[in-house]
Amino acid sequence: MPRTPEGKPDFSGTYEWPKDPGGVRGRGSATIFDSKKFAPLKPGGEKFTEARNGDPRHDEPRDLCLPAGFPAGFLSANAMQFIQNKDYIVLAHEFMRQMRIVPLDGRPHREGIEPTYYGDPVGHWEGDTLVIVSKNFKRWALDDYHYTDPDQFRYHSDAVTFTERFKWKDAKTIAYDLTVDDPKIFTKPWSQSFEIASKPEWDKDGLWEYVCEENNRCPGGKCAAN
Amino acid sequence: MRKLVLILALAGVMPVWAHHSFAAEFDDRKPIKVTGTVTKVEWQNPHIWFYVDVKDADGKMTNWAFSGGAPGQLMRRGIRKTSIQPGMTVQVEGFMAKDGSHNASGGRVTFPDGSQVFTAGSEDRLPGQGRGDAKQ
Repeated sequence: MPRTPEGKPDFSGTYEWPKDPGGVRGRGSATIFDSKKFAPLKPGGEKFTEARNGDPRHDEPRDLCLPAGFPAGFLSANAMQFIQNKDYIVLAHEFMRQMRIVPLDGRPHREGIEPTYYGDPVGHWEGDTLVIVSKNFKRWALDDYHYTDPDQFRYHSDAVTFTERFKWKDAKTIAYDLTVDDPKIFTKPWSQSFEIASKPEWDKDGLWEYVCEENNRCPGGKCAAN
Repeated sequence: MRKLVLILALAGVMPVWAHHSFAAEFDDRKPIKVTGTVTKVEWQNPHIWFYVDVKDADGKMTNWAFSGGAPGQLMRRGIRKTSIQPGMTVQVEGFMAKDGSHNASGGRVTFPDGSQVFTAGSEDRLPGQGRGDAKQ
Protein backbone atom coordinates (compact mmCIF):
# COMPACT_ATOMS: atom_id res chain seq x y z
CA MET A 1 0.00 0.00 0.00
CA PRO A 2 1.45 3.40 -0.94
CA ARG A 3 1.95 5.68 2.05
CA THR A 4 2.64 9.35 2.54
CA PRO A 5 5.75 10.57 4.40
CA GLU A 6 3.47 10.88 7.44
CA GLY A 7 2.63 7.19 7.20
CA LYS A 8 -0.95 7.60 6.01
CA PRO A 9 -2.30 5.60 3.07
CA ASP A 10 -1.66 7.58 -0.08
CA PHE A 11 -4.58 7.72 -2.49
CA SER A 12 -2.88 10.05 -4.97
CA GLY A 13 -3.40 8.74 -8.48
CA THR A 14 -5.77 8.39 -11.41
CA TYR A 15 -8.88 6.26 -11.23
CA GLU A 16 -12.10 5.11 -12.80
CA TRP A 17 -15.32 6.25 -11.24
CA PRO A 18 -16.77 4.12 -8.38
CA LYS A 19 -18.44 0.90 -9.47
CA ASP A 20 -20.30 -1.82 -7.62
CA PRO A 21 -19.24 -5.10 -9.28
CA GLY A 22 -22.37 -6.84 -8.02
CA GLY A 23 -24.66 -3.86 -8.23
CA VAL A 24 -27.47 -2.93 -10.54
CA ARG A 25 -26.81 -1.41 -13.95
CA GLY A 26 -28.84 1.50 -15.15
CA ARG A 27 -29.52 2.71 -18.66
CA GLY A 28 -26.55 5.02 -18.61
CA SER A 29 -22.97 4.24 -17.74
CA ALA A 30 -22.92 6.12 -14.47
CA THR A 31 -23.08 4.02 -11.34
CA ILE A 32 -26.47 4.13 -9.66
CA PHE A 33 -27.56 3.09 -6.21
CA ASP A 34 -29.14 -0.30 -5.67
CA SER A 35 -32.65 0.21 -4.32
CA LYS A 36 -32.29 -2.99 -2.30
CA LYS A 37 -29.77 -1.11 -0.14
CA PHE A 38 -32.19 1.66 0.75
CA ALA A 39 -33.56 2.01 4.25
CA PRO A 40 -37.37 2.21 4.51
CA LEU A 41 -38.85 5.55 3.56
CA LYS A 42 -40.00 7.67 6.43
CA PRO A 43 -43.81 7.84 6.55
CA GLY A 44 -44.79 11.37 5.64
CA GLY A 45 -41.18 12.19 4.88
CA GLU A 46 -39.91 14.38 2.09
CA LYS A 47 -40.40 13.10 -1.44
CA PHE A 48 -37.56 10.84 -2.55
CA THR A 49 -38.57 10.62 -6.21
CA GLU A 50 -40.29 13.00 -8.57
CA ALA A 51 -41.89 12.52 -11.98
CA ARG A 52 -41.08 14.60 -15.01
CA ASN A 53 -43.10 17.79 -15.34
CA GLY A 54 -41.91 19.09 -18.71
CA ASP A 55 -39.65 21.78 -17.30
CA PRO A 56 -36.03 21.05 -18.37
CA ARG A 57 -34.71 22.69 -15.24
CA HIS A 58 -36.62 20.10 -13.24
CA ASP A 59 -36.44 17.10 -15.53
CA GLU A 60 -32.85 17.30 -16.67
CA PRO A 61 -30.91 20.17 -15.10
CA ARG A 62 -27.58 18.94 -16.45
CA ASP A 63 -28.91 19.39 -19.98
CA LEU A 64 -28.71 23.09 -19.14
CA CYS A 65 -25.21 22.62 -17.70
CA LEU A 66 -26.41 22.93 -14.13
CA PRO A 67 -24.17 21.05 -11.68
CA ALA A 68 -24.26 17.30 -11.23
CA GLY A 69 -23.75 17.58 -7.47
CA PHE A 70 -22.51 14.96 -5.07
CA PRO A 71 -22.80 11.98 -5.18
CA ALA A 72 -24.38 11.81 -8.67
CA GLY A 73 -21.42 13.55 -10.27
CA PHE A 74 -18.86 11.43 -8.43
CA LEU A 75 -20.58 8.30 -9.77
CA SER A 76 -20.57 9.53 -13.36
CA ALA A 77 -18.55 7.58 -15.90
CA ASN A 78 -15.44 9.69 -16.22
CA ALA A 79 -11.86 9.64 -14.99
CA MET A 80 -10.89 10.90 -11.55
CA GLN A 81 -7.62 12.12 -10.10
CA PHE A 82 -6.85 12.30 -6.38
CA ILE A 83 -4.05 14.50 -5.05
CA GLN A 84 -3.17 14.21 -1.38
CA ASN A 85 -0.87 15.83 1.12
CA LYS A 86 -0.81 16.02 4.89
CA ASP A 87 -3.55 18.61 5.20
CA TYR A 88 -5.78 18.02 2.17
CA ILE A 89 -6.98 15.53 -0.35
CA VAL A 90 -8.28 16.90 -3.64
CA LEU A 91 -10.80 14.68 -5.38
CA ALA A 92 -10.95 15.87 -8.99
CA HIS A 93 -13.41 14.35 -11.41
CA GLU A 94 -13.33 15.04 -15.12
CA PHE A 95 -17.07 15.33 -15.51
CA MET A 96 -17.98 19.00 -15.48
CA ARG A 97 -14.68 19.79 -13.76
CA GLN A 98 -15.77 18.63 -10.33
CA MET A 99 -13.21 19.32 -7.63
CA ARG A 100 -13.71 18.64 -3.97
CA ILE A 101 -10.95 19.98 -1.73
CA VAL A 102 -11.20 18.05 1.52
CA PRO A 103 -9.36 19.32 4.61
CA LEU A 104 -7.68 16.63 6.70
CA ASP A 105 -6.30 18.92 9.39
CA GLY A 106 -9.05 18.42 11.94
CA ARG A 107 -11.05 21.54 11.28
CA PRO A 108 -14.81 21.41 11.80
CA HIS A 109 -17.46 21.88 9.14
CA ARG A 110 -18.10 25.45 8.14
CA GLU A 111 -21.16 26.99 9.72
CA GLY A 112 -23.75 29.40 8.42
CA ILE A 113 -23.10 28.94 4.72
CA GLU A 114 -25.62 28.52 1.96
CA PRO A 115 -26.55 24.95 1.01
CA THR A 116 -24.38 23.62 -1.81
CA TYR A 117 -24.45 21.12 -4.68
CA TYR A 118 -21.31 19.30 -3.55
CA GLY A 119 -21.56 19.72 0.20
CA ASP A 120 -19.00 20.77 2.77
CA PRO A 121 -16.55 17.88 3.16
CA VAL A 122 -14.24 17.26 6.10
CA GLY A 123 -11.91 14.28 6.29
CA HIS A 124 -10.25 12.32 9.06
CA TRP A 125 -8.39 9.05 9.47
CA GLU A 126 -9.68 5.94 11.19
CA GLY A 127 -6.59 3.74 11.05
CA ASP A 128 -5.90 3.17 7.36
CA THR A 129 -9.36 4.31 6.32
CA LEU A 130 -9.93 7.84 5.06
CA VAL A 131 -13.35 9.01 6.21
CA ILE A 132 -14.95 12.03 4.56
CA VAL A 133 -18.14 13.44 6.02
CA SER A 134 -20.06 15.93 3.90
CA LYS A 135 -22.94 18.15 5.01
CA ASN A 136 -24.69 21.33 3.93
CA PHE A 137 -26.32 20.18 0.71
CA LYS A 138 -29.22 21.63 -1.20
CA ARG A 139 -31.92 19.22 -2.36
CA TRP A 140 -30.55 17.77 -5.58
CA ALA A 141 -30.04 14.60 -7.62
CA LEU A 142 -28.94 11.54 -5.69
CA ASP A 143 -27.88 9.62 -8.78
CA ASP A 144 -28.64 9.04 -12.47
CA TYR A 145 -31.55 6.65 -11.99
CA HIS A 146 -33.74 8.94 -14.12
CA TYR A 147 -31.73 7.76 -17.12
CA THR A 148 -33.31 4.37 -16.52
CA ASP A 149 -36.75 5.59 -15.52
CA PRO A 150 -37.31 9.20 -16.58
CA ASP A 151 -40.26 9.46 -14.21
CA GLN A 152 -38.25 8.50 -11.15
CA PHE A 153 -35.80 11.27 -10.45
CA ARG A 154 -34.22 10.47 -7.09
CA TYR A 155 -33.46 13.39 -4.80
CA HIS A 156 -31.63 13.63 -1.51
CA SER A 157 -32.87 16.26 0.90
CA ASP A 158 -31.08 19.29 2.34
CA ALA A 159 -30.67 17.40 5.62
CA VAL A 160 -28.50 14.67 4.15
CA THR A 161 -25.09 13.70 5.47
CA PHE A 162 -22.87 11.57 3.25
CA THR A 163 -20.03 9.57 4.77
CA GLU A 164 -17.41 8.13 2.45
CA ARG A 165 -14.83 5.55 3.47
CA PHE A 166 -11.76 4.93 1.33
CA LYS A 167 -9.46 2.00 2.05
CA TRP A 168 -6.98 0.17 -0.15
CA LYS A 169 -8.38 -3.29 -0.91
CA ASP A 170 -5.39 -4.37 -2.98
CA ALA A 171 -2.64 -2.67 -4.98
CA LYS A 172 -5.05 -1.56 -7.72
CA THR A 173 -8.37 -1.16 -5.95
CA ILE A 174 -9.80 1.19 -3.35
CA ALA A 175 -12.77 -0.11 -1.37
CA TYR A 176 -15.21 2.79 -1.30
CA ASP A 177 -18.22 2.74 1.00
CA LEU A 178 -20.83 5.46 0.89
CA THR A 179 -23.35 5.95 3.68
CA VAL A 180 -26.48 8.04 3.12
CA ASP A 181 -28.02 9.51 6.25
CA ASP A 182 -31.06 11.47 5.16
CA PRO A 183 -33.42 11.83 8.11
CA LYS A 184 -36.05 13.70 6.09
CA ILE A 185 -36.44 10.73 3.75
CA PHE A 186 -35.22 7.49 5.31
CA THR A 187 -35.89 5.91 8.69
CA LYS A 188 -32.19 5.19 9.20
CA PRO A 189 -28.85 5.51 7.40
CA TRP A 190 -27.99 3.05 4.66
CA SER A 191 -24.81 2.19 2.80
CA GLN A 192 -23.53 0.75 -0.42
CA SER A 193 -20.04 -0.57 -1.11
CA PHE A 194 -18.22 0.29 -4.31
CA GLU A 195 -14.77 -0.21 -5.73
CA ILE A 196 -12.52 2.38 -7.35
CA ALA A 197 -10.03 0.94 -9.84
CA SER A 198 -6.60 2.52 -10.20
CA LYS A 199 -5.78 3.55 -13.78
CA PRO A 200 -2.07 4.46 -13.83
CA GLU A 201 -2.14 4.23 -17.63
CA TRP A 202 -4.32 7.35 -17.60
CA ASP A 203 -1.67 9.35 -15.71
CA LYS A 204 0.15 10.45 -18.86
CA ASP A 205 -2.93 12.31 -20.13
CA GLY A 206 -4.42 13.25 -16.79
CA LEU A 207 -7.89 14.76 -16.81
CA TRP A 208 -9.21 16.52 -19.87
CA GLU A 209 -10.99 19.83 -19.74
CA TYR A 210 -14.77 19.54 -19.58
CA VAL A 211 -16.55 22.84 -19.98
CA CYS A 212 -20.21 22.03 -20.37
CA GLU A 213 -21.10 25.48 -21.65
CA GLU A 214 -18.64 25.31 -24.53
CA ASN A 215 -20.87 23.74 -27.16
CA ASN A 216 -24.10 22.58 -25.53
CA ARG A 217 -26.09 22.65 -28.76
CA CYS A 218 -29.44 21.25 -27.58
CA PRO A 219 -30.13 22.72 -24.14
CA GLY A 220 -33.55 21.80 -22.90
CA GLY A 221 -34.06 19.71 -26.03
CA LYS A 222 -34.02 22.73 -28.34
CA CYS A 223 -31.15 22.41 -30.75
CA ALA A 224 -29.20 25.23 -32.34
CA ALA A 225 -29.40 25.64 -36.09
CA ASN A 226 -26.65 23.95 -38.06
CA MET B 1 -4.97 3.34 -37.76
CA ARG B 2 -8.63 3.00 -38.47
CA LYS B 3 -8.52 -0.67 -37.55
CA LEU B 4 -6.79 0.24 -34.33
CA VAL B 5 -9.54 2.71 -33.57
CA LEU B 6 -12.12 0.08 -34.35
CA ILE B 7 -10.52 -2.43 -32.02
CA LEU B 8 -10.24 0.08 -29.23
CA ALA B 9 -13.75 1.33 -29.74
CA LEU B 10 -15.22 -2.13 -29.55
CA ALA B 11 -13.05 -3.40 -26.73
CA GLY B 12 -15.16 -4.24 -23.75
CA VAL B 13 -18.33 -2.97 -25.40
CA MET B 14 -17.47 0.25 -23.72
CA PRO B 15 -20.41 1.94 -22.17
CA VAL B 16 -21.02 5.50 -23.12
CA TRP B 17 -22.40 8.33 -21.20
CA ALA B 18 -23.63 11.83 -21.71
CA HIS B 19 -23.90 14.84 -19.45
CA HIS B 20 -27.65 14.53 -19.80
CA SER B 21 -30.06 11.67 -20.31
CA PHE B 22 -30.77 10.56 -23.86
CA ALA B 23 -34.45 11.35 -23.44
CA ALA B 24 -33.70 15.01 -22.81
CA GLU B 25 -32.79 15.62 -26.44
CA PHE B 26 -33.37 12.59 -28.65
CA ASP B 27 -36.28 10.36 -29.60
CA ASP B 28 -35.57 6.65 -29.65
CA ARG B 29 -38.65 6.14 -31.83
CA LYS B 30 -36.99 8.12 -34.61
CA PRO B 31 -33.89 6.26 -35.74
CA ILE B 32 -31.82 7.68 -38.54
CA LYS B 33 -29.30 6.03 -40.84
CA VAL B 34 -27.71 8.21 -43.50
CA THR B 35 -24.61 8.32 -45.66
CA GLY B 36 -22.81 11.49 -46.64
CA THR B 37 -19.70 13.62 -46.46
CA VAL B 38 -18.35 15.06 -43.24
CA THR B 39 -18.30 18.86 -43.50
CA LYS B 40 -17.18 19.91 -40.02
CA VAL B 41 -16.15 18.44 -36.68
CA GLU B 42 -16.52 20.27 -33.37
CA TRP B 43 -14.27 18.44 -30.92
CA GLN B 44 -15.73 20.22 -27.93
CA ASN B 45 -17.59 19.61 -24.67
CA PRO B 46 -20.01 18.52 -23.49
CA HIS B 47 -20.25 16.37 -26.66
CA ILE B 48 -18.45 16.32 -29.94
CA TRP B 49 -20.62 17.25 -32.92
CA PHE B 50 -19.90 16.30 -36.49
CA TYR B 51 -21.79 17.54 -39.52
CA VAL B 52 -22.61 15.49 -42.58
CA ASP B 53 -23.97 16.59 -45.96
CA VAL B 54 -26.61 14.07 -47.00
CA LYS B 55 -28.26 14.05 -50.43
CA ASP B 56 -31.79 12.67 -50.66
CA ALA B 57 -33.39 10.82 -53.58
CA ASP B 58 -34.36 14.12 -55.20
CA GLY B 59 -30.84 15.44 -55.01
CA LYS B 60 -31.59 17.88 -52.22
CA MET B 61 -28.68 18.30 -49.84
CA THR B 62 -29.25 18.49 -46.08
CA ASN B 63 -26.58 19.12 -43.49
CA TRP B 64 -27.19 16.88 -40.49
CA ALA B 65 -25.49 17.47 -37.14
CA PHE B 66 -24.64 14.40 -35.07
CA SER B 67 -23.81 14.41 -31.37
CA GLY B 68 -21.14 12.11 -29.97
CA GLY B 69 -19.46 11.54 -26.63
CA ALA B 70 -17.35 13.93 -24.61
CA PRO B 71 -13.87 14.40 -26.09
CA GLY B 72 -12.17 13.03 -22.98
CA GLN B 73 -14.26 9.87 -22.97
CA LEU B 74 -13.71 9.28 -26.66
CA MET B 75 -9.97 9.82 -26.39
CA ARG B 76 -9.74 7.18 -23.66
CA ARG B 77 -11.53 4.84 -26.06
CA GLY B 78 -8.86 5.51 -28.67
CA ILE B 79 -11.00 7.83 -30.78
CA ARG B 80 -9.22 11.05 -31.64
CA LYS B 81 -10.20 14.15 -33.53
CA THR B 82 -8.41 12.73 -36.54
CA SER B 83 -10.70 9.67 -36.54
CA ILE B 84 -13.47 11.73 -38.13
CA GLN B 85 -12.42 14.51 -40.46
CA PRO B 86 -14.06 16.76 -43.04
CA GLY B 87 -14.17 15.17 -46.46
CA MET B 88 -14.61 11.63 -45.16
CA THR B 89 -17.56 9.62 -46.41
CA VAL B 90 -19.44 8.10 -43.50
CA GLN B 91 -22.61 6.24 -42.76
CA VAL B 92 -24.08 7.41 -39.46
CA GLU B 93 -26.70 5.68 -37.35
CA GLY B 94 -28.42 7.35 -34.46
CA PHE B 95 -31.64 8.94 -33.33
CA MET B 96 -33.21 12.23 -34.33
CA ALA B 97 -33.58 15.20 -32.02
CA LYS B 98 -36.97 15.57 -30.37
CA ASP B 99 -37.38 19.07 -31.74
CA GLY B 100 -37.57 17.88 -35.35
CA SER B 101 -34.45 19.76 -36.42
CA HIS B 102 -31.63 18.28 -38.48
CA ASN B 103 -29.80 17.25 -35.36
CA ALA B 104 -29.36 13.72 -34.07
CA SER B 105 -27.36 11.47 -31.82
CA GLY B 106 -24.61 9.79 -33.79
CA GLY B 107 -24.17 6.43 -32.17
CA ARG B 108 -22.25 4.56 -34.83
CA VAL B 109 -20.10 5.69 -37.73
CA THR B 110 -19.19 3.29 -40.52
CA PHE B 111 -16.46 4.11 -43.01
CA PRO B 112 -16.41 2.93 -46.64
CA ASP B 113 -13.99 0.10 -45.77
CA GLY B 114 -16.54 -1.25 -43.31
CA SER B 115 -14.73 -0.24 -40.14
CA GLN B 116 -16.82 1.37 -37.46
CA VAL B 117 -16.47 3.60 -34.45
CA PHE B 118 -18.96 4.11 -31.72
CA THR B 119 -19.11 7.82 -31.19
CA ALA B 120 -22.19 7.60 -29.04
CA GLY B 121 -22.41 9.87 -26.08
CA SER B 122 -26.00 9.38 -25.10
CA GLU B 123 -26.46 6.66 -22.54
CA ASP B 124 -26.19 3.16 -23.94
CA ARG B 125 -28.78 3.91 -26.61
CA LEU B 126 -26.84 2.62 -29.57
CA PRO B 127 -28.40 2.00 -32.96
CA GLY B 128 -30.73 -0.96 -32.73
CA GLN B 129 -31.58 -0.23 -29.13
CA GLY B 130 -34.33 2.26 -29.76
CA ARG B 131 -38.05 1.66 -29.93
CA GLY B 132 -37.94 1.85 -33.73
CA ASP B 133 -35.71 0.01 -36.17
CA ALA B 134 -33.24 2.03 -38.14
CA LYS B 135 -34.27 2.35 -41.76
CA GLN B 136 -32.09 3.34 -44.68
